Amino acid sequence: MMGYQNRVLRVDLTGKRYSEEPLRIEWAKKYLGGKGLGIKYLYEELRPGTHPLSSDNKLILMTGPLTGTTVPCSGKLAIISRSPATGTILDCSIGGHIGAEIKYAGYDAIIIEGAAESPSYLYIRDGELEFIAAGDLWGKGSHEAENELLRRHGRDSRVLSIGPAGENLLPMACINTEFFRQAGRGGIGAVMGSKKLKAVVVKGTGGVRTADINKALPAINELMRNSTLTDDNLWAYSDGTPLLVDMSQASGILPTRNFQDGTFEYAKNINSETMTGARYGKRGCHSCALGCGNITRIGKAMVEGPEYETLALCGSNCGIGDLEAIVKFNRLCDDFGLDTISTGNITAFAMEMTERGIKDFGIRFGDVEAYLEIPGKIAIREGIGAELALGTKALAERYGGFDFAMQVKGLEFPGYEPRGSWGMGLAYATSDRGACHMRAWPVAQEAYGEVDAFTIEGKAKMVAELQNYNSVKFSAIICDFWALDLKTLAEVLSLVTGENLCASDMDRIGDRVTGIARLFNNREGFNKEQDTLPGRIFKDALKTGSTAGKYIPEEQFEMMLAEYYRIRGWEEDGTISQRKIEELEI
Amino acid sequence: MRLKFDKDKCIGCKLCQLACSAVNEEVFNPSLARLFVETYYAGLELKAEGRVCTLCGQCVEVCPVSAIKMEERKLVLYEEVCINCGICVDSCPEGVIVQKKNTVGICGLCEGDPWCVKSCPHGALCCTEVI
Repeated sequence: MMGYQNRVLRVDLTGKRYSEEPLRIEWAKKYLGGKGLGIKYLYEELRPGTHPLSSDNKLILMTGPLTGTTVPCSGKLAIISRSPATGTILDCSIGGHIGAEIKYAGYDAIIIEGAAESPSYLYIRDGELEFIAAGDLWGKGSHEAENELLRRHGRDSRVLSIGPAGENLLPMACINTEFFRQAGRGGIGAVMGSKKLKAVVVKGTGGVRTADINKALPAINELMRNSTLTDDNLWAYSDGTPLLVDMSQASGILPTRNFQDGTFEYAKNINSETMTGARYGKRGCHSCALGCGNITRIGKAMVEGPEYETLALCGSNCGIGDLEAIVKFNRLCDDFGLDTISTGNITAFAMEMTERGIKDFGIRFGDVEAYLEIPGKIAIREGIGAELALGTKALAERYGGFDFAMQVKGLEFPGYEPRGSWGMGLAYATSDRGACHMRAWPVAQEAYGEVDAFTIEGKAKMVAELQNYNSVKFSAIICDFWALDLKTLAEVLSLVTGENLCASDMDRIGDRVTGIARLFNNREGFNKEQDTLPGRIFKDALKTGSTAGKYIPEEQFEMMLAEYYRIRGWEEDGTISQRKIEELEI
Repeated sequence: MRLKFDKDKCIGCKLCQLACSAVNEEVFNPSLARLFVETYYAGLELKAEGRVCTLCGQCVEVCPVSAIKMEERKLVLYEEVCINCGICVDSCPEGVIVQKKNTVGICGLCEGDPWCVKSCPHGALCCTEVI
């Protein structure tokens, strides 16, 4: 199939060996690339029960057929592994240019196995690979490491790196690229750390061929003009994700003080208007027509961001209404290699534990000084950081407060209060990697749109459909921010691959990808029992704003979950039957 | 007309380079593009670099076999005359002539409707009249 390089690079860090093999085209036809194809490879290759931080776990860097072409918003890279935070399947998505660079270096995927004996990094250039000692980079922040690697290998190289958080195997460690873009969630950076892999540096000078480029180029350009650069998507350019602060505040779903409330009295201090006033640049990923990245500077503090998730979880959720403090916190997290979503949640949890007198972590809501010390302490497990580094779930298991440990399967909540978007509650509970907003985002219809947010009616179907949509979109690898329909997705895939695909093929692939992710999790012991939400969502009513008085009654949630399994054709206990596996052609 | 780059509007997406290589070389490959546009961080400061053909005529002047000519204010390469000596590549002040296996690639402005300009989502590349 065109669009692919038809070549996979397999790297054995233990034996310092590498080899090339053909891409499994029969799998690419069924799973496309990115999320789906990465999960398929891992499902087939990983022995069940493999510890996420053992050398037997694998790290798969997976591109897609569109990566490296002019298809708008196709520049991201999927990174797949078994999650150290949850034990579930983990697929992350990272922006920048590294995905395309891997294609230009000649590969669809890089499968990294084993573990190096001592700190190392990989330098890949057009089919050549070097294992290079990284003792001098180990312990350094992600920013210093990337700067040094660009100095050594040229500014036109692309770098994936981890900070001290990844080296120290923390469940909230991320992978960075281009300083401010992350594969954030599930402790993917700790998998690199466990392999003693500080960085992967890639330079490619090859190209990507498509079915009929003289037909594809103008057709894709027309799609960019008529489908990408439209009002539906251009908010990403004008505002970026900070736009959601005001929308969440108005709909009462802005997480505030560890999800004790859904509105924040200082929301306007951290909203898009305030952010725009401190903006001095815009940046996009490879082949992105939108350019969501905002470069923000306040005083001496600077970051590309903060994104909505950071503003919500590290801002309102920590009782912090000071944009400069959030910019500093964001920058520290990026450099230490910490996921801001999980770090914000853990900080907020520690604040509530302290204020309730359950366990004194010496930090309270709105305490900027103590807050700014948290990322550094967590990253090297210093002082209270050693405890916070456990993650919210394990911390609650140790000290209590489990009902308000805002996580699912060990992954902390994103920035959308589910009591004001009941479908989002189901989406968190059933997401393949724990509480995640990237698997389905019914918030757009419920909290921000016209659909009744406070009912379970129709939500199971809505969540299943949205999950299938994102599953196929992230397998083709199109960024979340281009809201294209499945017909258009099929059209761009057909233009690039030369296959004749239609919208129903897309839906079927989405169903299959969601299915294999579930199957992976079933194999690791996950079923209905873990598809739940923290007690707070079922018991505590929100206090202010348009969601005041709202909670999700647990029996209603259970009904919604049962309906969801029925719609999916999964078993009542949340597993997938052999018959269903065959039907999905997994 | 000639190309003009406005760094303040560039988001660094590389669509210009990809379209250039696609229309000229039938492959998506930024290193085969006849322009170079990038945003990057230097010491965590965001920088932009854009190099496009300015129609300075240096390549026309240095070509020992007169394979490159300026015709109707556009560069034209006569591939059958080119001896692939690479002198134009080295002498281009913008570094936007591509060295290929048997010849070189120069910016011919896509018959007056440049694909790099058409592909730029935020107007960082445009055409400007040469006086």
